[in-house]
Amino acid sequence: MSTTTAPPAPPAPDATAETAGPSGRLPFWVNQQLGLFVLVIALAALFGLLRPAFFNAQFVLFPLLSDISTLTVVALAQMVVLSVGHMNLAVGRMASFGAMFAGLGYDRLHLPLILGLLLCLVAGTAIGALAGWVIARTGVSSFVVTLAMDFALLGLVSLLYTALTDNAAFTTTPSGMAELRSYSLADICAGPICGSNAIPQLGQFAVLALVGLGFLYRYTRTGRELLLTGANPAAAELSGIPTGRRIITAHALSGLLAALAGFMAAVSTGSFRASIGGEFMLPSFLGAVLGGTLLTGGVVSVLGALLGTSLVDVIRKGLDLLGVGLESLNIYLGGVLLLALSADRIRNVVSYRKVVRST
Amino acid sequence: MNIPNIPRDLLTSVAPAIRRHSRSTETTLLAVVLVGCAGLAIASSGDFLSGNSVRTFLQYLATPVLIGLAQMVALCVGQLNLAVGALGGFTAAVMAVLMADAHLPMVVVVVAGLLIATLIGMLTGVFIVATRINGFIVTLATMTMLLGAQYRVVGTRTVDGYSSFLKDLGSAAPLNIPLVFLTAVATAALLALFMHRGIAGRRLLAAGGNPLAARLSGISTDRQIVLAHTLSGLLIGIAAVTATASLPGVNSSVGGDWLLPSFAAPIIGGVALTGGSVAVIGTVLAAFLMRLIDTARAQFSLDPSWVNFLIGVVVLGTVVGGRVRQSRVAAPLPAAAPLPAAGGAR
Repeated sequence: MSTTTAPPAPPAPDATAETAGPSGRLPFWVNQQLGLFVLVIALAALFGLLRPAFFNAQFVLFPLLSDISTLTVVALAQMVVLSVGHMNLAVGRMASFGAMFAGLGYDRLHLPLILGLLLCLVAGTAIGALAGWVIARTGVSSFVVTLAMDFALLGLVSLLYTALTDNAAFTTTPSGMAELRSYSLADICAGPICGSNAIPQLGQFAVLALVGLGFLYRYTRTGRELLLTGANPAAAELSGIPTGRRIITAHALSGLLAALAGFMAAVSTGSFRASIGGEFMLPSFLGAVLGGTLLTGGVVSVLGALLGTSLVDVIRKGLDLLGVGLESLNIYLGGVLLLALSADRIRNVVSYRKVVRST
Repeated sequence: MNIPNIPRDLLTSVAPAIRRHSRSTETTLLAVVLVGCAGLAIASSGDFLSGNSVRTFLQYLATPVLIGLAQMVALCVGQLNLAVGALGGFTAAVMAVLMADAHLPMVVVVVAGLLIATLIGMLTGVFIVATRINGFIVTLATMTMLLGAQYRVVGTRTVDGYSSFLKDLGSAAPLNIPLVFLTAVATAALLALFMHRGIAGRRLLAAGGNPLAARLSGISTDRQIVLAHTLSGLLIGIAAVTATASLPGVNSSVGGDWLLPSFAAPIIGGVALTGGSVAVIGTVLAAFLMRLIDTARAQFSLDPSWVNFLIGVVVLGTVVGGRVRQSRVAAPLPAAAPLPAAGGAR
């Protein structure tokens, strides 16, 4: 579901192109979501043909889908701030910050699973809101504020881990966490009748986040206001939208999602440590931007975040199975990002010209 | 913006105010650095001022200064360069491998390294201009690619069998002032000269300060963006040379921790992220300050994480404080900020 506002034409030709409909006779590849979906399926089929092991439910698909779930939530965390035209460079550190509170809750307070998750989400929301508050209050670019936040949290989280734990990790796990990590859809309902054993239970969080954000951006006033704030802050302010408050909302939501992703990463590795989220920044931008979210704000694509993340992860996993070293994968991933965006650019120019010609 | 309508006498009255402001950022930094040095000297009961520790201090200051300047050049046209660490690491890796495995002479390799870094910077700039994709995303992509390329070049090993002459140069320190540090200072001086006195430098600042006004006055902003990324690449190349010279060996982790400090130095030094201003001295002083924090951390044998925490807090404090001060300075003269040439190029 691609949610676009209709800002004045020049800044986002994308948005006007989509509302232009069939009258503009837009080429089929203009729909970015569809293109991504086809690409993901085609690549998965290709890798499956080359290496039949790609479709091994237990050892390939299950971890792949776990990764996709976690990174989709990360991409959504970035998407939410991008929707107001901001960035969150501290997305990984907010994840580790939130996860640390969950670990602390389990280790010291012996909380049940769900309360620890709640604590983690509250911590993430609080730190995100703090970043948003500083940005809204001072007007300093979100890049600088979240970068500084990243620094500060990087130090703070490892300091707290060293102070609070013996071996820099909370290893106490509440009952239910191991199940959450290893159970697939086949385990939670009666055997393989109602669910594949390739789909991890962890995926429920990603689905929840996707549905929640889709609802927020499509049907609620807050979602609309977020997009308008991103599309044109001055116009939004003049039309009575509390832009400052919306900026705080966006960053708080980003913190919440980042913390959720941190929790998911901790669950899938089995322990709470400072290194959680260390590699989240790149996937967060990859997923959101490939999915069609604009860096300038005002245009988001919730489903696109899932598709963009899936594309990246399928390529990663596939190349890994083909024997390309994990680190060299980065070369291809960077190339994919550039290619996809160049194609996107061409797409924009073409559809913009068509719109101009039709008016 | 109605910049062309500003009377000339207003311009001349604004300029000193701006200069004072920019000077105050640097004097504050200088004062903080001096107080920090004095504090450290007292805390270490004079040890900090001994030849050896001054030498170590300056030895590892060269690279932070250079990467800070590299980021600053990108920032001055309103671009970001996320590939600072990756490009530096990649260049260092290529140079080390060329020397150790291909046994090329050191001078050739250093020149080749500088050329590679400059060329990659230029290509990045050309790509940004040609596709109009946000520079943030382009450098994010080049960062990813270069990280992969660096790993492919060195793999999991640490290359240390390279030119001992370069290593000697790296550790050479006449009068306890390391050559690598002198290189960094000389580079900073040349860059300051370029930005102040060179026409090309003024054009960069003009394009960064107000792209529209620059275009209207006949400056190609596209060319400035390419130039800024090229220059940024060259500075990263120099940083890679100093890093290769002063490190015991080059592996795939070189450059991994450059990104955050590269932003911290110019931001603390008073460079606006929106472009149009440079602060060479401020950036150098900020790098100095961060090195001081690191040394103090070692002096009191604290956890290395304190450094990141403190730098984060300092950057946050600087931007918030800077904004408060700026709004106080700019309040009576709202037109002062967007002047392209008045960005305090010091």
